[in-house]
Amino acid sequence: MILYLDSNNDCENLFMPTARYNPMSEKVEGKISRRRFITASIGAGVVGIIVGAAGAWLLKPEVVAEKTVTTTLTREVTKTVTATAPITVTPPPVGLDVVAQRAIDGVKSLIAKGAAKPGDTIRILHVAGSRANLEKAIELWSKYIPEIKIELITLGQEPDVYTKAMSEAVTKAGTFDAVTIFSTWLGDIVEAGLARPIDDFFSKYDPGYTGDIAPIEPLASYTTLYKGRRYALVFDSDVFTLSYRRDLLTDPKLKDQFRSQYGMELKLPDTWEELIKMAEFFTKLNLTAPSGGRVWGAYFYAEPRFAAYITWLNIFIESGGILFDLKTMDPKIDTKEGKYAFDVMLRLKPYMPPEAITASWADLYDKFVKGETVFTAAWPSLSKEAHRPTALVKDVAGSAVLPGVEVDVAGAKKIVRAAPNPVNWVAVISNYAKNPELTYLFFQFATSPDIGKDVILTGVILDLFRRCWFTDPKYRPAFEEGYGSEFVDAYLRSLEISFPDLLIRGGPEYLGKLTVNVNAVMAGTKDPEDALSETAADWDSINKKYGVDAQLEAWRALANLFPSDVKEVWRAKGYM
Amino acid sequence: MNHKIISKFTRYLVIIIFLSWILIPVLWMVTLAFKSYPEWRVAYFFPKEPTFMNFILIFEPKQIVGMMGATALVDPVTLPFINSLLVVGASTVLSVIIGFFTAYGASRYNSPGPFSLFFTLLTRMLPPATFVTPIMVYYSNLKLLDSHLGLIMLYSAVTVTYGIWILKGFIDQVPIEWEQAALLEGASHLQVVFRVTLPIVKSGLVVSGLFIFLLNWAELLFALVLTNVQAVTLPVHISKYVGAVGQLYGPQAALGILSSLIPVIIGYIIQKHLVTAFTFGMVR
Amino acid sequence: MRNNPPKIITYLANLPLNLLLYATLIVPFALMIYLAFLAWNPAAGINWWEAPFTGVNNFIRALSDSRFIAALGRTAAFVVIVVTIEFFLGLALAYFMLEEFKGKKISLSLIIYPLMLPWVVVALIFYLFFQDYGPMNNVFLKLIIGESAQNIHWFLSSTTAFISLIIADVWQWTPFIFLVMYSGLSAVSKRLIEAAQVLGASSRTIFWRIQLPLIKPLVLIAVVLRALEAFKVFDIAYVMTGGGPGTSTETISLYIYRVAIEYHDISYAAALSLIVLIILVIIIRSFIWYSFERGVKR
Repeated sequence: MILYLDSNNDCENLFMPTARYNPMSEKVEGKISRRRFITASIGAGVVGIIVGAAGAWLLKPEVVAEKTVTTTLTREVTKTVTATAPITVTPPPVGLDVVAQRAIDGVKSLIAKGAAKPGDTIRILHVAGSRANLEKAIELWSKYIPEIKIELITLGQEPDVYTKAMSEAVTKAGTFDAVTIFSTWLGDIVEAGLARPIDDFFSKYDPGYTGDIAPIEPLASYTTLYKGRRYALVFDSDVFTLSYRRDLLTDPKLKDQFRSQYGMELKLPDTWEELIKMAEFFTKLNLTAPSGGRVWGAYFYAEPRFAAYITWLNIFIESGGILFDLKTMDPKIDTKEGKYAFDVMLRLKPYMPPEAITASWADLYDKFVKGETVFTAAWPSLSKEAHRPTALVKDVAGSAVLPGVEVDVAGAKKIVRAAPNPVNWVAVISNYAKNPELTYLFFQFATSPDIGKDVILTGVILDLFRRCWFTDPKYRPAFEEGYGSEFVDAYLRSLEISFPDLLIRGGPEYLGKLTVNVNAVMAGTKDPEDALSETAADWDSINKKYGVDAQLEAWRALANLFPSDVKEVWRAKGYM
Repeated sequence: MNHKIISKFTRYLVIIIFLSWILIPVLWMVTLAFKSYPEWRVAYFFPKEPTFMNFILIFEPKQIVGMMGATALVDPVTLPFINSLLVVGASTVLSVIIGFFTAYGASRYNSPGPFSLFFTLLTRMLPPATFVTPIMVYYSNLKLLDSHLGLIMLYSAVTVTYGIWILKGFIDQVPIEWEQAALLEGASHLQVVFRVTLPIVKSGLVVSGLFIFLLNWAELLFALVLTNVQAVTLPVHISKYVGAVGQLYGPQAALGILSSLIPVIIGYIIQKHLVTAFTFGMVR
Repeated sequence: MRNNPPKIITYLANLPLNLLLYATLIVPFALMIYLAFLAWNPAAGINWWEAPFTGVNNFIRALSDSRFIAALGRTAAFVVIVVTIEFFLGLALAYFMLEEFKGKKISLSLIIYPLMLPWVVVALIFYLFFQDYGPMNNVFLKLIIGESAQNIHWFLSSTTAFISLIIADVWQWTPFIFLVMYSGLSAVSKRLIEAAQVLGASSRTIFWRIQLPLIKPLVLIAVVLRALEAFKVFDIAYVMTGGGPGTSTETISLYIYRVAIEYHDISYAAALSLIVLIILVIIIRSFIWYSFERGVKR
């Protein structure tokens, strides 16, 4: 035992052996001398650098991928032109739309040409939430093309998809053929060399981006284009709408009470100012919700993990703010529009539950579905959840376009409305895919009017985006059933006034730093002025990190895709 | 006499208080596993409408299409469970074996010197987030991504230091005279190790094995990045339970219970050794 | 007696360890060190082996990064508080568990149960617990301080958010310290204790003067290992508070994770990790020197 061997009871045997087989040597070999330590550390560092640099030479993955892409491309194009033998196409089954049909025909001709073999597998990296949707797409796909298999690599959290995608960009291992990403990451993914430009496939196969069946503009453009080139297929839409409790807003007693207290009508708010008043009214009433909890007037995102920026950005853009100067790329957020956005949010704060500032984004859904919020804003999936048979607000959940901000445009007062489109899943084909064309065709198939309708209605996190789904009587009833008809109308209008997430390179970083500061302001740990100037300084250094000119080019291209109302205000203010 | 009764009383009191403190969150987890979505974010413990759905879900995900808040279809838990058992079990055994030999050399012969020993602590000081990309690059070149072998190697390398340090503590306590006696009687060095030292520190092997097992069983970040489909482990699987309404707390709680079963079983089996760890000293 | 270790022992003691560590960790580790001296980011569009060498820029940048320094200090404070609490709680518990009593086996199994739960599940349990709608306010604090418990918003203020993290960590890891101390204390030779009892020592004296000092090295290594793990605390910070409010509960692991994975600034993250590593090494080394080697000077 230690006692017997440790006669001076100073427990010196942590590093030194208890009893060595060479007790004669009393050298201080047991002790770690400081000098030895420092030399070793520096040595480790130097060795590390050398080994790292050597490793760099040895561990380079083959740069074959890039070359293959270009050669296949040119060869494909010439082949189609000189093809003489007609390819037999199976007659379309009844009801399959032209976009899907073109995709099926494309695959069949690839197989016929030998460019794809039966038994080939397409691997898709995606997030767990879209699994139901993708499985539906696979089910429908196998009805027409059973010989091409699809394998799903499912991850639980969105940041994990981002990490894996960026890791793939580094390792170029060919782990997957396509990945569904947030549009916010588009800049990063493209610049990292992972995303394959698909303008060629667009022109060859026409995924239906024009005319009545087209995905709604401006969303279709700003979620798929980067610096003017096409990199993604729209797979989803994520425009925010205002969800509200219709029963409380139409209750005659409450309407009277509100009119007498505030001197205006209780109706869907047109501006945030109006909404604040209504939120105050409802919160002070301290009503009880169907769940037994208390009713809050409002719940808008302010949480630190990622969503706080959405509310701020919404009000900022509506006030006519622009994120970066279009000539110099200077951040223009510490302006009066930025301060106004904070002003509105802080005035809303007393009428929102504290969870808006601390809990995860899912708590907003939970509260509304239980009837504990009067006004809230979130993704379309909120309406889906609110219409489930088990939702407590099932019969009274309403949807509307988000309120706007009254802005002075060329002398006239105008209410500018703009809806944020945060995240938004899009499908990107990897540059290291085994068969990019085949992979692309799967997604054209899965996002086509007919198939896409089934895919979207099956799961929860993907939402509608083609115009025909809103307007064509062939499709609309199915969506009305899933979302509610008031939602479908409100959503169409919201899509038309929607604006993109900051999807230039470094997007997640810009927005991440903004979110943390918005949350700090809402929690009361930071001043709005400080928050804005610190964020602006952070954004400045991100600009410099990637090169101001490169960022400016991307920003200019993106700003051009903002909705026309917003651009009009920018012009009036001299920003554009 | 009085003294004894009071101290007995205090002991029970203290232990009961501590046990309640431990068990309250456990109770929360257990009741959560029987709750459906509307009851996840509540203040009361026992569900008003208990359901087995969460448990069914983790084995048969397709059963729950359309259920409120639970539309994430993930694979059944069987593969991740088996993977975890395999990977964590193998790496624990490897860590303990290598740890034992290293600890023996360090204890008796200063053979990995104290400097190298200190260096092994380094493996525990790295924030995994930065280590992830380099190891991804390395593994992808070695074609070890999404492989059991790759994970086993990584887990062993990262936890071997626990094995070394704990076992060194145990081996230090074995009186060297016993080994010397055996040597004098003509045993070879290896025989001394296996016949004299090893049996005595068996409980040390068990203790360090348990700690290493627990650490690896819960490891998430590396498994997330280094596995795709085939070598998915249990913690990664738990993290996949995300639906349209955010994380699915009910199924995750059910998985937590399931996941803790294995360490509990192992802990129960080895409890004999845990309790009597070190007590070889009595013999002396 | 020989002066040199027998060859077979040297091989067995060194070769497997080195093989494992070098084959698995050295290359990525060296790579990480290399990355720290580059100015590289996957989204920069260039491969990492082509990235420009930028010397110690990342390190200089880290020193003026207030968010980094704050996270570092905050995590250090967290570690000190948490390990101290766990140490004393573990110690007290070990003291009370030392003798046989009815239900000891079950108590032991229950006490170490928190160690067996996956950390993500522990994090979500406490997340739900401390929310405004959760049982902490509505059940437990209500019992103690009545209705005003509803006014406590755990995650809204930095102090209470920090405390909630401490509570979660102490809950999960006290059993670890307890287990080590309990094993060590049980191992103290019964004869020694009997001898002391014969000499008239009270059980308390025996505990403080005999048993504790004997297990000092074991306790030390347990504390060191626990402190190292505590420094890397991530899951509870990420799930429970998200680093909030603002960044006031952002631990160093969470910050580095964000830099590496959200901002994808891998070079900078590598530099940060190296700084953390160096600081930890210095602290651990000093701590061990302080506890042990200065005693030798007697």
